[in-house]
Amino acid sequence: MTKAVMEAVDVAKILGHGAGQVQALRGVSLVLAGGELTLLMGPSGSGKTTLLSILGCILSPTSGAVRVCGQSTAGIQPEDMARLRREHVGFIFQSYHLFPTLTAIDNVRLALDVRGQASRSAIAKTKEALAAVGLSNKMKSFPRELSGGEQQRVAIARAIVGNPSAILADEPTSALDSENGQAIMKVLAQIAKDQARGVLVVTHDPRIFPFANRIVRIEDGRIVGEEKGRAGFN
Amino acid sequence: MSLIFKLSWRNLFHDRLRFVATVIGIVFSIVLVTVQMGLFLSFDRMVTTMIDHAPADLWIVPLGTKCFEDPSLVDERERFRALSINEVTQALPIVIGFAQWRLPSGGTTPVFIVSSDTRVGGLHPWNLVEGSLADLAVPGAVAIDQSYFDRLGTKGLGANAEIRDQKVEVTAVTKGIRAFTTTPYVFTSLDQARAYVGTPPNKATYFLVRLAPNANVEGVRSRLRTILSESEVLTPGEFRSRSRSFWLFGTGAGAALFAGALLGIIVGTVIVAQTLYSSTKDHLYEFATLRAIGSPGMYIHKVIIVQALLSAIIGFCMAAGIGLIIVDATAESALPLLMTPMMSVGLFLLTVVMCVLSSISAIVQVMRIDPAVVLMR
Repeated sequence: MTKAVMEAVDVAKILGHGAGQVQALRGVSLVLAGGELTLLMGPSGSGKTTLLSILGCILSPTSGAVRVCGQSTAGIQPEDMARLRREHVGFIFQSYHLFPTLTAIDNVRLALDVRGQASRSAIAKTKEALAAVGLSNKMKSFPRELSGGEQQRVAIARAIVGNPSAILADEPTSALDSENGQAIMKVLAQIAKDQARGVLVVTHDPRIFPFANRIVRIEDGRIVGEEKGRAGFN
Repeated sequence: MSLIFKLSWRNLFHDRLRFVATVIGIVFSIVLVTVQMGLFLSFDRMVTTMIDHAPADLWIVPLGTKCFEDPSLVDERERFRALSINEVTQALPIVIGFAQWRLPSGGTTPVFIVSSDTRVGGLHPWNLVEGSLADLAVPGAVAIDQSYFDRLGTKGLGANAEIRDQKVEVTAVTKGIRAFTTTPYVFTSLDQARAYVGTPPNKATYFLVRLAPNANVEGVRSRLRTILSESEVLTPGEFRSRSRSFWLFGTGAGAALFAGALLGIIVGTVIVAQTLYSSTKDHLYEFATLRAIGSPGMYIHKVIIVQALLSAIIGFCMAAGIGLIIVDATAESALPLLMTPMMSVGLFLLTVVMCVLSSISAIVQVMRIDPAVVLMR
């Protein structure tokens, strides 16, 4: 069995206060295993992004336990949460969140820079990451000079350059056309397969089913189903 | 090399209009502080300039003298008492006081007479650009500073005027001897000074005491204090300190200058804080992204502080340039601005401190960033 890189056990999360309080998650348990691409699917407001945020150490659960590479996140301070993200998690965002004033290579290098890696080897690693997503020829381009698909590939390079144990992607294809969406999913599937990382993709785009090893369905803050994806049968 | 510098630089230049506003704020603030402190330094030198240029080991001054321009009188007997001490080689009388200078065009203007007895030494005009000290020995001769030519209605050497209905002739011209009171100094012989300000021959304003080589200044001073009943004995340092504290603080002039400088610092800090705060607000999602990808809080703080430091360096360079232009433009005026290397270093440190303090509001803002916002957008 592949090693669990992230684990949520009976996680509940209440968002907001008073009358505006919302129970976003209700006793969710999920294991993200290395070498696997998991799709987390569900309608809007089902708790997908909240679960992703908790697994990615951005939010703390109201109750339940989360372990990232064996480390519990219970009661840890924001700086320690940031350290866990830095060491173990790579994020890919729906809106890419690239720095408009930095070139592609600098956007990717930033992920190493915040880890205190500013040497020449950091530049070499950055170039490797950009090559891995097929952007060797766009290193000096600014985000405004890149297509949506290319920008998302820069974001993927930024997520993988620090060699994290888990990649968490929030609707990575929703802003892309079908062709670019397929290309991005191929890259993510390759990352999970080749590098034995756990990849969790939040989506409600059925076109990307073929790339999943596992599909987890969530509704009203509960896991309501789990099935093997097509990639899981290969 | 870390990307902190690049990110800060780009953030700063991303919105050029705001960057220009930041730099203008810093320049305005530092130029204002430079002018105030430059005037303070200039005044500080002016109020002690006579004491600085008098070759005195000790000063015998009237009781309660507040500054050099305080024209009370000491009796000549004090001088003889002082000379009775072996180590005292000279006790030179100095007479000062206000007088009216009759302008060639009619009317009068006040001047400040300073006696300069070339026969016995003592307080002489310095920085002579025309004429010589010997020329002051001629009856009716005076020395004036070239920065007061217009005030005194003269064209320099050889010009004639009247003081107390007595004809005077400018026989020497100095450069850079300016008075804090803006009343022009007029150097003349001791006898003429007495006549111009109405001081009796047995009185003087000060006695400038010179001691024998290797004399114990403190010892002589103690003995002088015991034998002089109507005067005080001051070291040049004490006299300077009294003049300074009277003119710069007793009159409120120094406090006004410091208040102006403080205002400049406050205005600069507020402007820089405001622009850094709004710049941070504009880049909030970028800072949230940094936080989401695991950036330590300190990394983000450094980005903001480097922005502040870059603003400080650019703003200071421009302010220093403007400051030097003002210093140069006022160098020959009656109110010159001074800028010393020490003051420049101090102003640079002040700019840095001001900008770093200004970044606090921006840092507080990023400390509150919830990285979850990047997942909601």
